[in-house]
Amino acid sequence: MKNLTALFYPESIAVVGATENTLKWGSYILTNILDGGYRGKVHPVTVRGDTVYGRKAYRTLRDIEGAVDLVFITTPADTVMEVMRDCAAKHIANVVLITSGFSETGEKGEALEENVNAFAREHHIRVVGPNTMGIVNTASSLYATGSHVRPRKGGISIITQSGNVGNQIMEWAEQESIGIGKFVGSGNEGVLSCEDYLEYLADDEDTSVVLMYIEGVDNGRRFREIAEYTTRKKPVIALKAGRTAVGSKAAQSHTGAMAGSHKTYESVLKQSGVILAHTPTELLTISSAFDSMPLPKGKRVGVVTLGGGWGVITADECEERGLELPPLPRDVYERLDALLPPFWSRGNPVDLVGQPDIDLFFAATDAMVASDAFDAVILLGMAGSGKFVTRIFEARQRLGFAKEKEIDEFKKIFADRQSKFLDNIVDLMEKYRKPVYPVALISSPGDEIVHGKKGSAYSVILYSSPEEAVFCLDKQYEYSRYLRKRSVGYEEHCAGSDSKRPESAFRI
Amino acid sequence: MKNIVQGAIANGQKALSEYDSKRVIAMAGVPVSRNALARSRDEAVAFARDFGYPVVLKGCSDILTHKTEMGMVKLKLKNDDEVAAAYDEITGKGITLDGVLVQEWIEGDKREFVVGLTRDPQFGPCVMFGLGGIFTEALKDVSFRVAPLSTLDAEEMIDEIRTKKLLGEFRGSPAVDRDGLVKALVAIGNLGVEYDEIAEIDINPLIIDGSRPVAVDALVILRRETAADEKSA
Repeated sequence: MKNLTALFYPESIAVVGATENTLKWGSYILTNILDGGYRGKVHPVTVRGDTVYGRKAYRTLRDIEGAVDLVFITTPADTVMEVMRDCAAKHIANVVLITSGFSETGEKGEALEENVNAFAREHHIRVVGPNTMGIVNTASSLYATGSHVRPRKGGISIITQSGNVGNQIMEWAEQESIGIGKFVGSGNEGVLSCEDYLEYLADDEDTSVVLMYIEGVDNGRRFREIAEYTTRKKPVIALKAGRTAVGSKAAQSHTGAMAGSHKTYESVLKQSGVILAHTPTELLTISSAFDSMPLPKGKRVGVVTLGGGWGVITADECEERGLELPPLPRDVYERLDALLPPFWSRGNPVDLVGQPDIDLFFAATDAMVASDAFDAVILLGMAGSGKFVTRIFEARQRLGFAKEKEIDEFKKIFADRQSKFLDNIVDLMEKYRKPVYPVALISSPGDEIVHGKKGSAYSVILYSSPEEAVFCLDKQYEYSRYLRKRSVGYEEHCAGSDSKRPESAFRI
Repeated sequence: MKNIVQGAIANGQKALSEYDSKRVIAMAGVPVSRNALARSRDEAVAFARDFGYPVVLKGCSDILTHKTEMGMVKLKLKNDDEVAAAYDEITGKGITLDGVLVQEWIEGDKREFVVGLTRDPQFGPCVMFGLGGIFTEALKDVSFRVAPLSTLDAEEMIDEIRTKKLLGEFRGSPAVDRDGLVKALVAIGNLGVEYDEIAEIDINPLIIDGSRPVAVDALVILRRETAADEKSA
């Protein structure tokens, strides 16, 4: 295994090709590192000028006093070999090769890249790229991609074979306040491959979920082994691009004709316990669910809804995905019956028949989450209901029947109530180790989506629709089931696979 | 089993005949229909009597493809005369055959599955399972797993197809013997792992006879490059 710690946690960095020319990669990377709050040493390297962005600049890497842990190279492809030789001379072991114009451009670039790769391997230099977007490690405030995106610190680490796809996911994460750990754009994978990054992240304590965008891997068997190893430790969510590409292999059999590389990839991923996503947005949605909540131990879902329709939609979504809505156990039934009007649903989903009563929200949530009858609970329309009422007050104000001050007071009361309601959900998830998925009655752009509570490892995600909540629950259950099946007698399962074959039915 | 595969490669064959394909998968642990290779009309009749009527006759050779379209398959033959006539018709087409395959007729209950092996350039041998019969390629209701398969892998790939309901009790037929199916899938995966010489396998259909899955047709395709290497060596 390649140790990538110094790559992600460098104490000193040099940027070769550093420049103040705004629209050059040597500027993107350097400004991003400096502006992102990285606390180690940063050395610009350039043949032009004595300073770059106020920092002392060096003509070459060799001129820098003291050790350099990590070098970003942004100079043109034909200059890279020389910079690599400087790296070797200075015993620099980690390079992020931003430069493009290598194997992705044809034969000449391929030859150039092979020289760089061979040199790097010979001198034990770990190279990210070439043709990469860069890397991020929020734990060391290292934002070193071409894009100045600043997601908050968190546990989701991204390995992407497309810089743009990965970057867009980080943008969404920033907007939705979803925490990101590390990011690596693997580029052409000349030296380090996505298998290497996955292997490193499997044991990285700052990473709780691995998110992957894959177009193809070079060593299928190794990838499978590492993926299987990683999923025993933490969830891996992957999108394999190229669903519609037809397998290029000329197959002779019907089996071969139906296989195709995409189908095989998806099978390998499933077999290794990797959870599949079909779009980049799904990648982030699923990853954040895994990052925020405990895993459901089974498929029994309890649903509480503020109104009937959402309950039916949620029940349908669960049923279609093979999740179950068991009936209410007696103790929960009696507890709710004492609190609700006589015309309540008396079953699961529990319909609160529109009662806007915060105490009831708490009581129903507590009763359902505490019950052993359920492995996960979906709460529909209680979160976000304050906003519903606020809008009525806003209308009253426009009609001249309410004062602005009054509305501000209400807003504060509702915000406070919502915060307490969500804090309580965090506490319940801690106490009962089961996931709770609240769906907001109303959510608007800018609203809180991930609600954390100080001192808790879990946080609440406010889902915008029942189908999104069920979708995430289903993915979490899929992973939980994979783990459970494998931890119970998995070794025996494997061992038994090629022994005891059934008696032959063939006779001559 | 090694002898069959290597013998065929030494002969320069690109595939095994149906007879040899079935022998190989049967030895690996996949139940196949009873069949025997007849080299004379009398032998064909004797085999048919031994199996009991009705029977199926098929022209057998490693180079035969599209057997049905070429009139090389005669289904549900009910007596000695029909077998004798079918034997003459198949052997009278002027095509060199290893012999004529006499096979017990398995009525089944219309539930037909497909099991296959293919090789992925990245991941190696992969096992396929899915809905078989004539609609296989139209509906593409199939799942894949990379070999070797654990029994869990096999169970999960069985549960992955959309038509998995067919595996339970279905229109008066008992549930399919799942363990048998799991063992068959694991066995085909192991064949792929153990025999580099085997490129691809098609078992279609795998008919459900009562609850028991039985392969009634099989094709083992050999690696072309391996065959060529052997020839030149």
